[in-house]
Amino acid sequence: MGKSRVYVHSAAALGPTGDMRRTERVSLAADPPPLELKELVKQVVGVPLRQASHFVELAAIASQLCLKRLGVPAPEDTAVYVGTGLAEVRKTHALFQQVMPPGPGMASPFDFINAANNMAAFYVAKLGNFRARNLTVSQEEFSFEWALQLAWEDLRAGDYRQALAGGVDENSQPRAQHLRRMALRDDQVIGEGAGFLFLSVEPERARAEILGVRHLDAQTIGIELPRQLADWRQDREPVTLLPGFRLSADEIKHLIHTSPDIDVQPYLQHCGCFHTATAFGLAAALDDPAGTSGLVVHVNRNRAGQWMIVGIRSLTG
Amino acid sequence: MPVVRLRGLGLVSAYGPGVDRAAAGMIAGRTAITPLTLFTVPFQDGIQVNQLDHTPYPPGEAGALALLGTAVREALTEAGLTTEDLRDTALVVGTSGFLFAAEAEYRHRQAQQDHPPARPALRAPGYLTQEFAAQMGMQGPVMTLSTACSSSANALLVAGGFLRRGDARRALVIGVEGLSAVTLNGFQSLMLLDPEGCRPFDAERRGMQLGEAAAAVLLEAEPDPIAYGDVLLGGANLCDIHHVTSASPDGSAMRAVMEMALADADVDPDQVTLIKAHGTGSPDNDMAEAAAMRALWGESLPPFTAIKRYLGHTLGACGAVELAALLGCLRAGAIPPASGCQRPDPELRIAPLRASHPAQPGVVMFNYFGFGGNYASFLIRHG
Repeated sequence: MGKSRVYVHSAAALGPTGDMRRTERVSLAADPPPLELKELVKQVVGVPLRQASHFVELAAIASQLCLKRLGVPAPEDTAVYVGTGLAEVRKTHALFQQVMPPGPGMASPFDFINAANNMAAFYVAKLGNFRARNLTVSQEEFSFEWALQLAWEDLRAGDYRQALAGGVDENSQPRAQHLRRMALRDDQVIGEGAGFLFLSVEPERARAEILGVRHLDAQTIGIELPRQLADWRQDREPVTLLPGFRLSADEIKHLIHTSPDIDVQPYLQHCGCFHTATAFGLAAALDDPAGTSGLVVHVNRNRAGQWMIVGIRSLTG
Repeated sequence: MPVVRLRGLGLVSAYGPGVDRAAAGMIAGRTAITPLTLFTVPFQDGIQVNQLDHTPYPPGEAGALALLGTAVREALTEAGLTTEDLRDTALVVGTSGFLFAAEAEYRHRQAQQDHPPARPALRAPGYLTQEFAAQMGMQGPVMTLSTACSSSANALLVAGGFLRRGDARRALVIGVEGLSAVTLNGFQSLMLLDPEGCRPFDAERRGMQLGEAAAAVLLEAEPDPIAYGDVLLGGANLCDIHHVTSASPDGSAMRAVMEMALADADVDPDQVTLIKAHGTGSPDNDMAEAAAMRALWGESLPPFTAIKRYLGHTLGACGAVELAALLGCLRAGAIPPASGCQRPDPELRIAPLRASHPAQPGVVMFNYFGFGGNYASFLIRHG
């Protein structure tokens, strides 16, 4: 039996200033100020999430926004795949302070429950009433890419007909520790946010099609990446490149030197750097009906020099 | 579609390094309950744990990596492979995170100075996975799954998917968890630790007993069906959205994931010869799990066991740890009983094995139910 094609039916990106639409996005010159999400939760989710952490709130808002933009109720058997690099880093820090000397030595039960790395995926499923596969991938820079790859493969294989795939990460203080944890330079903006895509095997009303998620070896990236782009690109359709936060200016220049007609969209200026910024970048590129057209390609590499690329064809714009 | 064969197992548990050592202890009816000496907690005398012998492992991240290396080398030896053979192997790790390594490093630094050291920059859960892959020269896909107590069970399912799709020829699944002061305090604050240790499905059960371990499972795709050896037949993962920390009381979600696993493995319920229950010993969890098994099998329930009193509840690692330990027992010819279950709870209306039984080739179901309603079930054909 042939594999199904997988489409994107809705997308939502939540940025570090509470921005949910293209018109609300701002260019960040420095780390964004702390973001309070309680009101936004009530506005988007409809009910307060009293015991939820900031991390869970980010995921809840973006996933619910994505589902609202779908326009129809999502079925109960919608699988959920969440990528997160650092997961509940604030709650984990809080627990460390509480338990380790010279702290008082006892853990807050709420902080402990919230510190489980799969809490965001649980709330995404609970708010969506989804009783299906539910996975949380935590692999630093590629957390969202792997979550999307697993969702894409499960839909292609026919295990599920629809899925919600997203990425979410929160920032934390002190800044120096967060920079070290993420191996960022001091001049890089620390961001946070979430992005979700509703995927389906139904072509009707689709906004985009997932063409593939590929893991590439550092040794072959120079050959494999142009080959993959040529394979995905139809005729002379426009190509938008979304460069991930690990790529240097030289690496981006090198990526496009063979195809000068590629349009580079530096989405990180709106969300800052976080492990799952890819989810924000892709969702932001697809969440506007008049937005990006043609082939959208996200490229990033990890600390170890491995690369992952995501190819999506926008069917709007 | 290729068959997913278990080529090698490795285990470091409170019994010491080695699958065989753990299996021998379990078959002999010895639990590996140890005193907690790694660190102190305010309720030190009121808990039971299964602690590793840390002598061979330096504190912190280096020790965690060495621990993984020990488990992986055992799996490679059984498979007749070397680290060179791992170059294009997929690595899928299941863990709730490496907080235990950060704690150990902090304690180590604290012991060397008069004042509290600076807080460590807590790493991403996938950080040490990537470090381990680099150390072993692994260039294939690298992934960490963090779905609470079902983490490494889900890692096994994801790795099986890689092999079935042809994304990799070989996959290494690791489950790892260390004892952590934060985790012990957290479960104590939720009143989920039983001072008497884990007593699965027992009338007096009061909660869990935490442990630490690392296990490695080396999977390989075989193009044709094979007549012998241990094979991953299939499995499933499902979210029970009833509550963050407690299961649907009627066991419906647990039953659903078992049914999905059976369907994926193309196995009828009456073909299952043994069930490895999650069996945490917590009142609600065991109640829901018993309800699920009763509903699915009725009077035809196959024998089932629960092994967390032997090894401790190793949280994100228990998927791989309990797979390796139980298969070790089965290979040695015996099914270990559900240690800690002295008087089965009559309300559950089912009872686990309370004496060792001879093992036969057959189909074993492994069940795991975690926080955040994350459930996983898979089937292994053993023989």
